[in-house]
Amino acid sequence: MPWGKFPLRLLVLVAALCAPSSVALSQEAALDLEGHSVNPLKESNKPVVLVFLRRDCPVSARYAPVIQQISKKYENDANFYLVYPDQADTAQQIRSYLSAYGYSLPALRDRAHSLVKLSRVQITPEVAVFGRNHQLVYEGRIDNWYVDLSRARSAPTTHELEDAIRAATAGKPVAHNEVRGVGCYISDLN
Amino acid sequence: MLHLGSQLTLNQRAVFALILLAAVSGALAPRSVAHPNPPSDAPQVTFNRDIAPIMFRSCAQCHRQGEAAPFSLLTYANAKKHARQIADVTRSRAMPPWLPEPQVLKFADELRLSDTEIKLIANWVEQGEVEGSPADLPAEPKYVEGWRLGKPDLILTATKPLVLPPQGTDTYWNFIFPVPINTTRWVKAIEIRPGDKRYVHHANILVDRAGASRKREAQPGAGFGGMEIRIESQVFDPDSHLLFWKPGTVPSVEPDGMALRLDKGTDLILNTHLQPSGKPEIIQPSIGIYFTSHAATKFPMLLQMENDAKLDIPAGEKNFVVTDDFTLPIDVDLMAIYPHAHYLGKDIQAYATLPDGTRQTLIHIPQWNLNWQAVYRYAEPVRLPKGTTVSLRYSYDNSDDNPLNPNHPPARVVAGNRSSDEMCHLWLQVLPVNFDPAQGDPRMALQEALARHNVEKNPGDFEAHYNLAAMLQSKNNLDGAISEYTVAVKLRPEDAAGNNALGAALVAAGHPEQAVTYLQAALKSRPDYFDAHYNLGIALASGEDFSGAARQFEQALKLQPQDANVEANLGAALAESGQLAAAKAHFEHALQIDPNQALAKENLEALKKEMEAH
Repeated sequence: MPWGKFPLRLLVLVAALCAPSSVALSQEAALDLEGHSVNPLKESNKPVVLVFLRRDCPVSARYAPVIQQISKKYENDANFYLVYPDQADTAQQIRSYLSAYGYSLPALRDRAHSLVKLSRVQITPEVAVFGRNHQLVYEGRIDNWYVDLSRARSAPTTHELEDAIRAATAGKPVAHNEVRGVGCYISDLN
Repeated sequence: MLHLGSQLTLNQRAVFALILLAAVSGALAPRSVAHPNPPSDAPQVTFNRDIAPIMFRSCAQCHRQGEAAPFSLLTYANAKKHARQIADVTRSRAMPPWLPEPQVLKFADELRLSDTEIKLIANWVEQGEVEGSPADLPAEPKYVEGWRLGKPDLILTATKPLVLPPQGTDTYWNFIFPVPINTTRWVKAIEIRPGDKRYVHHANILVDRAGASRKREAQPGAGFGGMEIRIESQVFDPDSHLLFWKPGTVPSVEPDGMALRLDKGTDLILNTHLQPSGKPEIIQPSIGIYFTSHAATKFPMLLQMENDAKLDIPAGEKNFVVTDDFTLPIDVDLMAIYPHAHYLGKDIQAYATLPDGTRQTLIHIPQWNLNWQAVYRYAEPVRLPKGTTVSLRYSYDNSDDNPLNPNHPPARVVAGNRSSDEMCHLWLQVLPVNFDPAQGDPRMALQEALARHNVEKNPGDFEAHYNLAAMLQSKNNLDGAISEYTVAVKLRPEDAAGNNALGAALVAAGHPEQAVTYLQAALKSRPDYFDAHYNLGIALASGEDFSGAARQFEQALKLQPQDANVEANLGAALAESGQLAAAKAHFEHALQIDPNQALAKENLEALKKEMEAH
């Protein structure tokens, strides 16, 4: 491994990852489906849940009922947004997807990956939970339903998203603030 | 890199660092098609020259429009969009999905990447996914759209589609396809179109020659649930072909002489495994049938090894092993193999020990995954001479460490049909060879040997004795059949089928008076049992209780009105008890249904003479 060549560049990126998440978004913000800029963290003082999805990801698809059930259960505790980071997705395509899967949550397009970078997610479906102070409390998988791409349990035995929402609501920390999910990589991750 | 939560092993940390490094280099250099300084020392890999051939050969069967996978991989743009995913899943061999280890006895259509191919993909991604020179890109494979073998001779579509709910456990659903033919036909190929290839995990066809499965439907055409189905058969007509579909399956044409026989009244049962997708899905499969005028001259058989009786897996047991060994009584060629277990199956092996002691691995799946079960066809038939012992060795993990364990916490698991039960099955499609047709059907020797093996394994098993009895009866060994049916009935005194079979065998052997008790017992358990009414009628008539016989034939007629044989027998019983006019009506009825019904013809003649005389 050519560690000798790139130590400086590596250090820079690692340093960037360790910095506390900033509230300020990069220049191209996320857009709602009508094309307006939206900063989900500034919409209210409640905790915020961002759910990152790919339209061509069967794992994201299978989670649709679970995401809807959790968002209904905690509708008074947090604001939920579906986030589509794929640059090729159009608003029309996203609307069709929402309709097919019966979603009634607000959806955002994150083509410049400002929310992706803020949340540090890598996979769909993954979620990011922000506390009242807009700090990132948790990012990663919804639960441990999937072991790997070819094996799903009959039922999950851990529930990281729900745990994180309750922790954020109570202002408490979570046991693990980052648990990678199983699913499809977000395209063009940097 | 597998995403197993926050615990990264040493290997995975190293891989993560490697990808991070590549990402760093990519982020800080201008993103362009050709990467000027690839971080690795490997030669440059390009999509057009190195990756496209792999995609075309091993991925595009499923990864293209209209097929099972969620995205296409036919172009550079598509592959690049999923590059990291492709590197990950090929490295872990999650894709392409192929469970068996490489082995000497090669399988046809082996979907397995070489280590070199996997490294090429990894390097391609690491180097920033270079497209390469257009001149290097091979031609895209030509795919046949629609029915792969051309327009089928017969297309059957499921009467009632299944609505798969958005959420829930895997669904196992069976669709019945009556085959609308009026004479026996020979089938050279079948294409299964499961309906929506993205949501049907796999499907297989069972041939129901006795209409047994229709009884399981709530209404005709509704279909019925169940992971596996048993089809009972009255005559020796063993299953012969493994008709299977999984994503990527291309239908194959049977070699000349090995066509599948379908008769008037045959049903095809399509057994499907479905997984909810997150939204409701309509699943409406269809089957395309291709006929040939060449009747079968070779008769393969599905040798169904199993050892379900040994499945009693304690909760928490990590390595429960089941074995079975069966010695072949004849020479065969092994054409295809189909191992089957449920969610606890772990290490699945089958091997053959030849008479000279050499051992050949027939299949070895070190990590069983029900989701990717398949029929595996050998590239060349495997000659297994008489005296070869075929062995299966399956292990099961019923602990919490098995993430697919359907029970939380783990529970005791025995054999059964539900996904929370287990199975230990090994089906082998074999073709008897080197036999003298004058000595009879070689498959009977095979089936009888297997039936005897099962009785030895499970002396207390009703079905083992019943099946051996049925085998012996089909060879006209009535004494042997009666002996085995008697054991079966002792094991299950109230079983309708067992009692009826024993009664029928006793009638056939010339002991109608002994038969009566058993046939009556059959009818007590199942009052609408056509065969038992019919057989009891015959038994009573043989004992000259003609009015009793007539009552039985009347019951039989109510159950199956258009049966010429029943009409004829009823007529005969009525005639013998002096009811000539009624008898005549039934003989005439029999001849309306079947002008060649011999009993009715002869008796009607005789009856007319008798009536004229008075």
